[in-house]
Amino acid sequence: MEDKSNKYMNPYLAGVLIGLMMIAAYYFSGEGLGGSGAFKKVTIAAVNTVNHDYAKDAAFFASSVKDGKNPLDSWLIFEILGVLIGATISAGYFGRLKLKVGKSPKITNKTRLIAAVIGGILWGVGSQLGRGCTSGLIMSGMSVNAFSGYVGLIAVFGGGYAFAYFFRKLWI
Amino acid sequence: MKEELFASGRNIPFIDPVLHIWHWQIPLYLFVGGLAAGLIFFASYFYLKGDEEKYPIAVKVAPFLAPIVIIIGLIALLIDLRHPAYFWQLYTTIRIESPMSWGAWTLGAIMPLSMLWPLSYIKDLQAYFDNRLCKMPFKLISWIIKMINRYWFINWIYDWSIKLRKPIAIINLVLAIILGVYTGILLSAFNARPLWNTSLLGPLFLVSGISTGAAAIMWMAKEHHEKLAFSKIDLILVGVELFFIVHMFMGFLASTAVQQEAAQLFLGGEFTAVFWGLFVGAGLILPAILEIMELFHFKIPIAIPAFLILLGGLVFRFIMVDAGQITRYLY
Repeated sequence: MEDKSNKYMNPYLAGVLIGLMMIAAYYFSGEGLGGSGAFKKVTIAAVNTVNHDYAKDAAFFASSVKDGKNPLDSWLIFEILGVLIGATISAGYFGRLKLKVGKSPKITNKTRLIAAVIGGILWGVGSQLGRGCTSGLIMSGMSVNAFSGYVGLIAVFGGGYAFAYFFRKLWI
Repeated sequence: MKEELFASGRNIPFIDPVLHIWHWQIPLYLFVGGLAAGLIFFASYFYLKGDEEKYPIAVKVAPFLAPIVIIIGLIALLIDLRHPAYFWQLYTTIRIESPMSWGAWTLGAIMPLSMLWPLSYIKDLQAYFDNRLCKMPFKLISWIIKMINRYWFINWIYDWSIKLRKPIAIINLVLAIILGVYTGILLSAFNARPLWNTSLLGPLFLVSGISTGAAAIMWMAKEHHEKLAFSKIDLILVGVELFFIVHMFMGFLASTAVQQEAAQLFLGGEFTAVFWGLFVGAGLILPAILEIMELFHFKIPIAIPAFLILLGGLVFRFIMVDAGQITRYLY
């Protein structure tokens, strides 16, 4: 079988397709696409299960759990499940479905995983302070011409360029 | 908040109007019971068929998991009991009309036999665990082999376990099927709970259990042809499972109001997303798609469909036990 593991879709075509997906998402669900939202909902559901009395009074959790609402009953959860399933099938189709740690060859898996966890935590906190991540704030925001989306774009990519130099060893 | 007013003499805490006595222990036990049934079934079946060398992992290696998971299940059952010290009373009687009695005696018989089987293949197990990342199982098996060589009575049991493989396989084959079916019948014998009270539950739990066994074997298998064979078997079992699930719901919907209400828990009610999304979607259909891709020579790490099947089996039992306790004949 021919090796397709290094063949990727044209990024411009992929961008257009994501744009069409965005329109479909707004049309069918009334919400845009999101990445961090689903993780937030899972966190809220976990806190709510352990201690409902706390969750219903805490500002961050209250809106998702009041009146017996289930925080997992959300479009974002199903969207992310779809992403997982679609990604698995697509990776399987192109022969890229394997368990591995993507990193610079010069660092150990341990270093990479620790850095990834710290980065993930910072990203989680940041996305909540910014009310969304790259998908939820920037893409979904800009697609409805929200000012916050443009600010987010400048902050995320500007910040990325500014800090890339210091963390380049994790990748090259 | 959902509030209901009852004008009824039926208010028995933990039993009526909704059953609230079974927690995580029971579904976990039903899952490991099914998994053990699957592992033992395949080992006995392929041994009797003479495919010992063709499917070495299924016949010689994987069955060592069976007694381990049965012990985990039995510990869960003990934790579930209000008075654990009285568990032995199940063994003071044989009641042919009680699924729990069938289960207790089946477990009592299959437990020692499922330990004798891997014992008879202990040298193959040692070879399997050699050069593995985790040294613990290898050391444990080497220690058992040392004990066999040192003490004559252990050596005697070991010799007999090899000589008696064929009769053990025949008995195990029957017991494994009883064990797998009983995990479902344990629930379906509850005629007070409409969701459980369907005769399809026994076969459904059996097929699901055998399928998790196949998943565990294909995960452990080293040779490609063995992985592929169990992937194919699993695919057929998933198909049968889907068939049973559809027919279970058809049966509910064609039945009385309480059964229809029970089915509504999965067709718009609170278990809809988790049942169709996590169990049917991620635990049956997605692994089935990956297994079909495997058949068409796509490179799929077998661990992914195997893990999904096992997780789906566990989720399925949690859902059925939780949802079944809510369903009732009250109105």
